[in-house]
Amino acid sequence: MDKLMTKLSENILDKFSMDFLRNQVLKNAYGNDHTLIAKLDPRVLLAWYVFFGLVPWFVNDTVFLFGCFALVTITTLLAQVAGLVLFLFGLGVFSQTGYLFLATLLFGGDTTAILPLLLLTLKVATVSLASITVFSGLDPDRLSIGLMWYGCPEQFSFSVSYAYRMLPLLMEEFQNVLLSYRLRGNPPAHETFKGKVQYLIYQVKIIIHAFYPLMLNTAKRSRTTVEALELRGYRYAASNPQVRKIKFSALNITHRDMLFAAVSFLWVAVTMLLASIL
Amino acid sequence: MNAIEIRQLTYTYPGAERPILNGIDLDVEKGDFLAIVGNNGCGKSTLCKTLNGLIPHFISGEFGGSVCIGGQNTLETDVGQLAQTVGYVYQDFENQIVRPTVLDDASYACLNYAYQDYEQRGRQALALCGLQGKELDYVWQLSGGQTHLLALAGAVSLGPDILILDEPIAQLDPGHADAIYEVLKELNQKHGKTIVVIEHHTEYIANYCRNVLLLKDGKVEWKLPTQQALQRVEELQACNIFPPQITVAGFALQQQGRLPKTAQLPTTIEQAKDCFSQLQYRPQAEMNDKPNRQEAVAEFKEVWVGYRSVKGEPRRIFNGVNLTLYRGEKIALIGSNGAGKSTTMKLLTGLLRPAQGEVLIGGQNIKHKKAEELSRQISLVYQNPEQMFIKDSIRGDIAYAMQVRGVADWQQRTEQLLQQFQLTELAERDGRLMSGGQMRRASLAIGVALEPSILLLDEPTANLDIATRKEIMKTLNNMKQITETVMIATHDMQLVCDWAERIIVLYGGEVVADGTRDEIFGNIPLCQKVGIRPPEIFAMAQQLDAKALCYTVESFLNDFKESDHG
Repeated sequence: MDKLMTKLSENILDKFSMDFLRNQVLKNAYGNDHTLIAKLDPRVLLAWYVFFGLVPWFVNDTVFLFGCFALVTITTLLAQVAGLVLFLFGLGVFSQTGYLFLATLLFGGDTTAILPLLLLTLKVATVSLASITVFSGLDPDRLSIGLMWYGCPEQFSFSVSYAYRMLPLLMEEFQNVLLSYRLRGNPPAHETFKGKVQYLIYQVKIIIHAFYPLMLNTAKRSRTTVEALELRGYRYAASNPQVRKIKFSALNITHRDMLFAAVSFLWVAVTMLLASIL
Repeated sequence: MNAIEIRQLTYTYPGAERPILNGIDLDVEKGDFLAIVGNNGCGKSTLCKTLNGLIPHFISGEFGGSVCIGGQNTLETDVGQLAQTVGYVYQDFENQIVRPTVLDDASYACLNYAYQDYEQRGRQALALCGLQGKELDYVWQLSGGQTHLLALAGAVSLGPDILILDEPIAQLDPGHADAIYEVLKELNQKHGKTIVVIEHHTEYIANYCRNVLLLKDGKVEWKLPTQQALQRVEELQACNIFPPQITVAGFALQQQGRLPKTAQLPTTIEQAKDCFSQLQYRPQAEMNDKPNRQEAVAEFKEVWVGYRSVKGEPRRIFNGVNLTLYRGEKIALIGSNGAGKSTTMKLLTGLLRPAQGEVLIGGQNIKHKKAEELSRQISLVYQNPEQMFIKDSIRGDIAYAMQVRGVADWQQRTEQLLQQFQLTELAERDGRLMSGGQMRRASLAIGVALEPSILLLDEPTANLDIATRKEIMKTLNNMKQITETVMIATHDMQLVCDWAERIIVLYGGEVVADGTRDEIFGNIPLCQKVGIRPPEIFAMAQQLDAKALCYTVESFLNDFKESDHG
């Protein structure tokens, strides 16, 4: 426990640095536009997601769920998702249901108790992986055009891509504010166990404190951005149907999309067949 | 027809007591290249915002008089239509870029105004602004200068007749600044655009602009052709505008009776060649202090550094750098954008670890030291002072580091620092709401609060107008007594010349030169290779005599004497 605590408190700011985070976020958003998934038409992918994001919740057949899980695992691999996202996925699934599953096993629960838990874990994992495939395999711009095509308001889809444009800036800003705290602050000595706990609390406190300057700095920046958006016709575009048309004309469905849809369909069909046989 | 016609324009910001623009009459011809100069807060930016309709359509306030753009009254049209006639590039241009990739951003406005050929227009604008081949890059991969060009391309893409730029080169190194002005020149001459710049750098005004407009207290003082405008040395200086050093030198020569009073003052090196031809270089005996290098305070030993990149291989920043800093030195670290100046500072403060090699502070390897532990020995003042304000008042910010460390009589010391940096009256203000110069002074005060033995300053004079820059330079000179070792990373060669005792030049991940200002600026091939531009007066002296090394107007006046037979 002591060791774990040391590691945690040492790592929270050092290894898990903002630089690393920023890099992972960017990698996730833009670093994989050469993959098969990224080249698909966003509309097809979103439709695909509606199936794999919803259906697993309502099905309780283990074979079918395993089949779906296998497929989304493959698509996630194809999308070459950044390591951090996969790590968060693992952590998320485990914290949701995985630990219950383990606990049941440890305390001698029999298969009747495990099965429903396994099912739930499978469902959560399948849906999560499908989400990861779509939201991190596609770059934010293609994603937002796809969303718009399905009738999402322009403002929403703009926000998605604008957020990605701003994230690296915000993280850099945050990193620098944090550094100010680090360089000028006086962290508690952390040789003893008690010191380490205090150090951890201190670090978390700093992260919270750093939000105040971050917000103010961002507010200051956004004044120009708001004016620039006005000048660059952002409001014009929202009310002009012509603009939507031009944006959608960039989308087109190719053989690749057909193939992807067909393979997914076949896969599901075969899984259903297997599910009814087994 | 005039591109811009303004009649009796008055404007008051909401809540302000006095009008910021107070009866402006102005005609700007089509195809003009106009520089607007004036004191801080004299309404330059406000005037420009009335041209693109942001005032009064987007920013309310009391508006009187009329502004006509291309014959159309701005009151009768809207921001969207005006945007297609008037392009605007902000001073904080990076906040005007809203899309992640270069081509996307350049064509964004065209798409919004529903041009079918928006992508084509974006590409053309990029080509005009010298950004071909960067179309698919992400905006955060661009250097400061390229980002500015992109902001310009975004404005150019709509094909406006008028382009307005608010302090286009304030943040750029000379190479990038030239690039911007060359682009503007081409847009002006080849494409017939009317260009309006708010500019403090009179050297650039002399070389590129056709007319100069002086604003004073919300009124047009005069609008004159550049050559005539820059002759008014005293009047400009009274408004905190500093004419080109050459003009100032010429003016001083006139005052000393060494040039006829009636003579036209030179504004560019070309003109000055004839004007100063009777001068000969006769340097005063110079004191040559041998730097005293006894105690090393920081050392780099074979340091290699690379950065993670989003795609592909990590980028190499340092290739085996060796460097020693000695106690008491005043060092300037120069090199183009991305040469590794910030990396050096991050390594010294322990924020970045070398991939290979060692960094020593006070003889100790800092590999296992935390940035917090180093902060008593070494302190870093960021380029962007806003990021140093973590409390809600300047007093709190200055006191913070001393307070949490329980420094004895920290309260007294805070007061002392506030006084030293002329911040006593501003002590309760939030740092972010102060002017550029005040923010910078506050950040310096924060930096020296712990009395570090090494003080690092990242671009302390960037983004400041010239008057404020001079003020900060004075502060830096005064600080020489209270700080031991100081290292400044900067593009500002005037600062380097006036302040530094030792200059280190970084280029391509290596230290390519290290010496006094004479050794660096006297080495012409080096300056050309690395892209160092010495101050204009230095270049002027070099034109007259290749042996001359003059860094200030005063030394130019002292070291050049009239030739006996002239």
